[in-house]
Amino acid sequence: MLLLAIDTTTKICSAALGDSKKILAEYTLNIKNTHSKHLMPLIVSLFKDAGVDKSLLEGVVVNVGPGSFTGIRIGMAAAQGLCQGFSIPALGVMNLDALAEACSFFNGLVCPILDARREQTYTALYKNGAAGPAAVENAAALSLEELITRLDAYDEEIIFLGDGVDVFREGLKTALGEKYREMPYSSRFNRAALVLQKGIRTWEKEGPVSSYALRPFYIRLPEAERKLREKTREEA
Amino acid sequence: MSRQSLILGIDTSCDDTGAAVVLNGRTLLSNVVSSQDSFHCRFGGIVPEIASRRHLEVINPIIDEALAKAGITFRELDGIAVTFGPGLVGSLLVGISTAKALSFAFDLPLIAVNHLEGHIYANFLTGANISFPLICMVVSGGHTSLIYMKNHGHIEILGRTRDDAAGEVFDKVARAMDLGFPGGAVIDRLSQQGDAAAFSFPRALMNEDGKLDFSFSGVKTAVLNSIRRETEKGNRVKPADLAAAFQEAVVDVLVEKSLLAVRQKDIKQFLLAGGVAANGQLRKKLRQRLSAEKIELTYPPVELCTDNGAMIASAGYYYLRQGRLASWDLNAAPNLEFGGT
Ligand SMILES: [Zn+2]
Repeated sequence: MLLLAIDTTTKICSAALGDSKKILAEYTLNIKNTHSKHLMPLIVSLFKDAGVDKSLLEGVVVNVGPGSFTGIRIGMAAAQGLCQGFSIPALGVMNLDALAEACSFFNGLVCPILDARREQTYTALYKNGAAGPAAVENAAALSLEELITRLDAYDEEIIFLGDGVDVFREGLKTALGEKYREMPYSSRFNRAALVLQKGIRTWEKEGPVSSYALRPFYIRLPEAERKLREKTREEA
Repeated sequence: MSRQSLILGIDTSCDDTGAAVVLNGRTLLSNVVSSQDSFHCRFGGIVPEIASRRHLEVINPIIDEALAKAGITFRELDGIAVTFGPGLVGSLLVGISTAKALSFAFDLPLIAVNHLEGHIYANFLTGANISFPLICMVVSGGHTSLIYMKNHGHIEILGRTRDDAAGEVFDKVARAMDLGFPGGAVIDRLSQQGDAAAFSFPRALMNEDGKLDFSFSGVKTAVLNSIRRETEKGNRVKPADLAAAFQEAVVDVLVEKSLLAVRQKDIKQFLLAGGVAANGQLRKKLRQRLSAEKIELTYPPVELCTDNGAMIASAGYYYLRQGRLASWDLNAAPNLEFGGT
């Protein structure tokens, strides 16, 4: 089952082609340049360089967030357009679920942390089981203090990954001491291969969805909406 | 080129999601627009993040609908044209990413259309015989420009606004008068019952010799001051009078500058384009004055004056004939100007 995976939710622009046995090709850029410029050339190259006819594609797996709002949309619009064009189904993978795949070997807890700006992180918590990483804490946008409070309840080693590591490392190390572990930088960040790995797992268990039913996972409301709600609450 | 050419046009430059199919640049086969006005009116203006989110939800069904209404499939298309600027960057990116994916899937030429030039091409969908060279006045919420076109793809800017765009001023005045959003159509309607002589507002840059630039911040300030002054005095302003006087001041400037441009260039054809081209008073006055000069005036029907995919498809057809194709690394150009690529 040939799948294309896309991840444009962070500063990394990544696309991969593969199936349940192997990654045929993967291209990953981490150059802070606009994803809209790079994503389609990467996808075109994947098919060309892997020598795969695009008509063989059976589905698209895409990281639906949380992450950069614009980044999420670039990846999702591409995924939805490809599914519409090739008449194939899709699967949306949550960013933190995809990252947790990188640590599916780890015996302790797995904590992906993404830089959510405004001194927050998008984070969740996972424990590995027979079917791969399973969430023990749901995705949320948390401050460092809130994350530490959440993790205090656990007395195990916790491995961190994601682009939030560089932002929150010192605070987490201080609070967690010996419990703190982190992935080396070569496998700490978003990659489409992880989205593919997570996608295949879900695909085989639950099946894909129509690309028309895909929805982004922003977590946060638009700024204007948030302010309007705050205002209405104050007035009430 | 005897072959029939079908172009899918996609526009997500601002808050409306548009998709349309056009035959040979001139015949509209379908035109679907999903308006977001109801999503933004709570905020008194367009919220870019909300617009982008909405585009992503509706763009694929809207494209399907455009094809179904045209009675064709993707395989019958000859190209996909998409707006790449100017506009809201987040909104533009949804259309661009979708268009690239579809072009790749069907091996179709990807055509990147300048939205401002797209507005001009709404006129090519009217069935009118349009002859070059021509002058087009593009009046919208973001632009007020006089454009000289020697032929397809040959664009020269004759004049532009030095401050606010005409449509922007319509919206601001409508908001100050509590008329709601978007304001242009309300003011147009209200003016019909008003006395334009009830107030006297300035006509800017009318006396500068041969200059074709516009300025609307003066009239905007004058109207806003009038509203404040009359309210402070406790006078009840008749909204229809205020709207009529304001509209007349703006229309006068637009018409006089158009005539000035016409006299500077040897043309027989004048086009009106952009959201403000729907204004009844502007159409009427321009028609009167241009017919006296024996110049043909063409303007799009109201539904093609606002943003839509059809005008992008029409422009896209002519771009394709000129061999102006985009590559896979196409990016949004939020600040694109006329003639910009
Ligand atoms: Zn427009």
